[in-house]
Amino acid sequence: MERFSFAGGLGNKMNKMRNDKKGQQEIVGFVLIVVLVVVGLMVFLIISTRTSDDVKSVEVGNMLDALMKHTTDCAVVYEPDYDDFEDLFKSCHQEDQCSNLGLSACDYLNESLRAVLEGMFATEATVGAYQIDFLVKDDEGEEVLLRILEGNCTGSVFSAQRSIVSHSDSLVIRLKVCSTLS
Amino acid sequence: MKIMQMAFMIVAVFFFFVLVGLFFLSIQFKDVKGSAAQLQRDQAISSLRVIADMPELSYDFSEAFTLDEDKLKIMTGGFGDVYDDVWPVASVAVYKLWPVASELKLCPGLGCNYYELYDNGQNNSRTYSTYVSICKKVKESGFVYDKCEVGKLEVGVVDAGGVHQ
Repeated sequence: MERFSFAGGLGNKMNKMRNDKKGQQEIVGFVLIVVLVVVGLMVFLIISTRTSDDVKSVEVGNMLDALMKHTTDCAVVYEPDYDDFEDLFKSCHQEDQCSNLGLSACDYLNESLRAVLEGMFATEATVGAYQIDFLVKDDEGEEVLLRILEGNCTGSVFSAQRSIVSHSDSLVIRLKVCSTLS
Repeated sequence: MKIMQMAFMIVAVFFFFVLVGLFFLSIQFKDVKGSAAQLQRDQAISSLRVIADMPELSYDFSEAFTLDEDKLKIMTGGFGDVYDDVWPVASVAVYKLWPVASELKLCPGLGCNYYELYDNGQNNSRTYSTYVSICKKVKESGFVYDKCEVGKLEVGVVDAGGVHQ
């Protein structure tokens, strides 16, 4: 009789252990699913925030084109052979001088670009901030020659860039505009 | 008891995935709305190219969004009214952004910076604008060169009962 009750107790204990093991397996399975979904969500969020960071815009492209064609007061060789901003970027890269102003092309570029951008964005009520980068691109990467950043960005970023060639180097002018419009 | 536990588990997992799905959808739709608005704006700006590239306004046919300042001066002298049937818009205006001026001064006039080319007098119009180059030939020290300045082309489009293009 005692033997039977002992065997019955052992059987109950084994059943309980089996149930506990099954419960643990379920919990582990659920945790695995949660971890997988969270990882998937994180990957999705990283990709979506990355892509929304740099939206190409026709408006900003037109802005940059108009800026590049704007004639400046800098004449490198003779007056009135004035540089437009596209030529001035090249002159700055080639370390030329504005012979009529007695300034280096880079100093004049920095000064005049700030002034023109300020004038352009004065009419834009929806623009909170803007940034223009003048970069030299080669196999090793990008080197920033000039960066102008004004304002604080609280909205969406729209961008455009143009590439020009100077002395076998590729120059990139990238304009980013932060707009409060979505 | 076991079936109940399983049922609870399935319901919990189902609700979890529903919440994840809703989160995902809300992000997706927010993106779609933003992209649609941006596409509309880009489309409207691209359509301004048709007007900017007209021979009556264009400076250099090989370059888009480049306006001839001398042509603008002529068009402000009442010529724009002749284009009533040609321009399918409510208004066309151009203004210079450089040199910076505190107020718009209507052309023709000394030191003016605002060219009103056409206006059919419609009040219920929605304006679209884009950046352009305003260029002219300038003679200095016996040399002729192209002088371009940054400006804005502003076109008014009839707003048909709140339906925007």
